[in-house]
Amino acid sequence: MAREVGRVEITMEALFARLAADFGDGLGDLRVQEPDTLVAAVERGALHALAERLKAHELGYETLNFIAAVDHGRHLEAVYHLYSWHTNTWLELHVEVPRGKAELDTVTDVWPGADWHEREAWDMMGIRFKGHPDLRRILLKDDFIGHPLRKDYVDRAENHPHV
Amino acid sequence: MLPDRLKQYPKLSDFSQPNVITTTADLVFAWARSRSVFPFTYGLACCAIEMLSSGFARFDVARYGMEVFRPTPRQCDLMIVAGTLNEKMAPVLKRLYDQMSEPKWVVSMGACATSGGPFYDGYNVVNGVDKVVPVDVYIPGCPPRPEALFQGLLELQKVIRQYKFVPELPEPAKPAERS
Repeated sequence: MAREVGRVEITMEALFARLAADFGDGLGDLRVQEPDTLVAAVERGALHALAERLKAHELGYETLNFIAAVDHGRHLEAVYHLYSWHTNTWLELHVEVPRGKAELDTVTDVWPGADWHEREAWDMMGIRFKGHPDLRRILLKDDFIGHPLRKDYVDRAENHPHV
Repeated sequence: MLPDRLKQYPKLSDFSQPNVITTTADLVFAWARSRSVFPFTYGLACCAIEMLSSGFARFDVARYGMEVFRPTPRQCDLMIVAGTLNEKMAPVLKRLYDQMSEPKWVVSMGACATSGGPFYDGYNVVNGVDKVVPVDVYIPGCPPRPEALFQGLLELQKVIRQYKFVPELPEPAKPAERS
């Protein structure tokens, strides 16, 4: 499965053009944000298929480094930090998640390392990952009620049973 | 002139026979136990760094006979809770406290262990270890310096000396008055 890591000499401009050509609208609002980081917005329905394509792609985004969850008030957001050992560059996928129905497809079948990151995003921000093999809380107690890093979370005594 | 705290102990010259001391069991046990405390290494956060540095040569808790930090509760009689206790840790702390053998004491070191400290409003912070286990001495500070910890431990020695190891006998029943 894992291909041998070969260095691909490529400039950020060429990388940008290559990704824009191969993925088109799949990577919306693609832009260079840092000298080694590209940022793109992704529709949440297209996330899983895109993840598979990016991992199998010649540019080789084989490493999922982190999944961050952000509360923007009107909506939530999941940020997937991908890394390519072939080009030594980052690619950030920003996925908008509606507040009322915070659900995303899991990517644990693409990157197994996503397991604990998705559990943490569920625990702290309440984003449910469909298809996750074991979506339990990872940091807080199992009987905790609520998702405390959401901006509208209010800490009440009844959220802490058995204390 | 003896300091006041030593006056409670009998002097050798008080006795007519050499090498014989008459005293109470309570006093001997209290004297021995307060000077050979085995602390339990319960470091939860940055206070643990101060607790550890108390054990090294610069501050040297061995001066009070407390240098034998044990990593298992079964060999300890003092739990120094050094750091923030969160809700997931609370049952573990209770369990380890229950595993310590009697008699046992708890020192709450620092603002977090005493009241939750700067994390008082946190969604997962227990506001003081005294919600979980009984605490004998509270040490303020964030974190307390080793000197502050030593003062707390000296206060704890006073607490230990008050401990009655021999239960007091009940008052003998008065004989019934003759009518």
